[in-house]
Amino acid sequence: MNDSANNKVSAIAAIIHKEWREVVRDGRFRFASVATVLLLLLAMTFGWQQAERIHHEREAAGDVARKHWDHQGEKNPHMATHYGMYVFKPTGSLSYLDPGVEPYLGVSVKIEGHRQNLPTHAAASDSTAIHQFGGLTVATGLQWLVPLLIIGLAFGSWTSERERGTLRQLASSGLALPVLAVGKTGGLLAVLAALLIPTAALGGGVVSALGHFGAVDVGRIVAFMAAYGVYFLVFVAVTLAISATASASRVALVLALGFWVTTAVVAPRVLADVVGAIKPLPTAYELAHAVAESLDKGLPGQTPKEERVEEFSKELLEQHGFLGAEMMMPEALLQGLELQAEARFENEVFDYHFGALNADIGAQEVWAQWLSFFSPTLAVRSLSMAFAGTDHAHHRDFFAHAEQYRRELVQLMDNDFATNAGADGWDYVAGPELWAKAPRFEYEPPGLFWVLGHQWKSVLALMCWLVGAGVTSWVFARRMRVI
Amino acid sequence: MVLEAKGLAKHYGDFVALKGLDLRIASGDVFCLLGANGAGKTTTIQLFLGFIQPTRGSATIMGKDVAKEGTETRRYVAYIPENVMLYPNLTGIENLEFFTTLAGKNVADADLLGFLESAGLAREAAFRRVGTYSKGMRQKVGIAMAMAKGAVALLLDEPTSGLDPKASNEFSRLLLTLRDQGVAVLMATHDIFRSKEVGTRVGIMKHGELVATLDTGEWSHADLENIYLQHMHD
Repeated sequence: MNDSANNKVSAIAAIIHKEWREVVRDGRFRFASVATVLLLLLAMTFGWQQAERIHHEREAAGDVARKHWDHQGEKNPHMATHYGMYVFKPTGSLSYLDPGVEPYLGVSVKIEGHRQNLPTHAAASDSTAIHQFGGLTVATGLQWLVPLLIIGLAFGSWTSERERGTLRQLASSGLALPVLAVGKTGGLLAVLAALLIPTAALGGGVVSALGHFGAVDVGRIVAFMAAYGVYFLVFVAVTLAISATASASRVALVLALGFWVTTAVVAPRVLADVVGAIKPLPTAYELAHAVAESLDKGLPGQTPKEERVEEFSKELLEQHGFLGAEMMMPEALLQGLELQAEARFENEVFDYHFGALNADIGAQEVWAQWLSFFSPTLAVRSLSMAFAGTDHAHHRDFFAHAEQYRRELVQLMDNDFATNAGADGWDYVAGPELWAKAPRFEYEPPGLFWVLGHQWKSVLALMCWLVGAGVTSWVFARRMRVI
Repeated sequence: MVLEAKGLAKHYGDFVALKGLDLRIASGDVFCLLGANGAGKTTTIQLFLGFIQPTRGSATIMGKDVAKEGTETRRYVAYIPENVMLYPNLTGIENLEFFTTLAGKNVADADLLGFLESAGLAREAAFRRVGTYSKGMRQKVGIAMAMAKGAVALLLDEPTSGLDPKASNEFSRLLLTLRDQGVAVLMATHDIFRSKEVGTRVGIMKHGELVATLDTGEWSHADLENIYLQHMHD
């Protein structure tokens, strides 16, 4: 490095050191910082306790459901699919950081023949009225409180320098103002890092000491922290840009708080309504009615039910070498194949309607991600939920796995009926040995790259915010009036 | 030439703050700008600092145009305003260390302390937070900053205004030391007595114009005062 570069590095280090000293010696910021850290620790601890309780409840409920299945007594295998079984969504190991939309969506699915049920038993429906207004979580703390702390630390970064006259001293030192801006950004980040990294370490230590559930996904934790790191940097840069251009500290504070209210509080709600208006979803009643009508008559504009079931029956008979020779078949095998044909038709109906629903929800998510170019909070909220495994995409993935499990279970039972009923027909009964053959429902959330594949627009939006805010802060610092 | 102004002018709309100033200040030269409020003294200082842009003409420091190379030219100068403003939560030595590092100088703590003591600040005070300092003590830190920076030019904007006579006298002594070391000084002031004491030349400004330039060695204090008052009454 040449002397000029060395001087700049030394100057930036000196500014970081100075900013640090000023903040830690200021009682107001000490108080605000300690309050923020305590709230985050409390949110983390309570969030973990809540998530752990839900995890154990679901595990216990899943065990009970499986026990009921295993001990349902002897009955016809197809009747067993009507008896059905509940499967539960496992609690994500990071859901204590950001519960996302999970409390508002169902966590258990009734697995049964002829029906694809929507997940039910949303946690929010069991919570107290006061909790339904939304509790403090680590995510809300990081999305709302930390930006407020940043604003409190940074709104006067340039204006107070100008007001007390130190900006003239700084400018007369011979250092370019954008270099000072880099130093100020570094100083604020150093203060934040000194607050948040020990908080994360302490919180992580407490949670580890309490025990953990599910596999700890280091990649997701790193991605989660990185997303928030970029988000905080956006707020630092925006607040510095505002401070560089505002005429006075109180103006800078009002403008910075206005930015926070607009992007962190108002925009996510308004944009959620916008997304709902752009891509409305059917009500539960409309969906159930459409599914029931299709199950009764066939898919809209397509082959009627009876003909479609007949087509599937022919395919199955051909597979078993009995096409055109149904009279030669054992009655039970024919009935078993007819049940499978009906199940295929039902699956087609479910795929059509739930596929359309999932496509609409997916489209809403895509819109929400594009709209996050209007709000960094919207972008980080999407990423936060995604990395914590508590967003809609994870929910749909769980739902798809549950449906796949349902189909395999129904096929296993109907196959057994077709293969083993023989002359007993519908009088054929199976017992615990067959029920035990049904595999346990296991669900593993998808990996980090799957998440990034779904969230690239949010990542792009957040990076655009970072670049935009950084460039604006730099340009405003260059053009800043010293006196 | 360390400091030079050629046809330097600054207009704010129809108001002319500075009207074609020509000025040359060499190493070891102390040029005092005298004049009433609004005469253009502070405007001149700010143009040399590059805090404002000239409407016409140029201000150069060590041959470099301030308007074009403001960051570079500010490396040569130290600026001491009427109130040296420092960070109240930092100590005197911490403030000095900070501004010295920004100026690209890496000075050891012992030397920083030496500069503060040379500027007249008590050793004990150097380790106190600046929030407890008097104005005179802050001006001393300003002088120490100029010394530590190794500035070739000093731009002073009424630096002794509001100082008690003792502090003002100490300030003058320090200025003379810097002058003897070859530092070029441009000082805006109302203080004719101090101008005669430390200045090599005095310029009288009126309505944005330099109306008279006098060598202080050729005139007595009383003469200077008379000439100044005469210009003010014209």
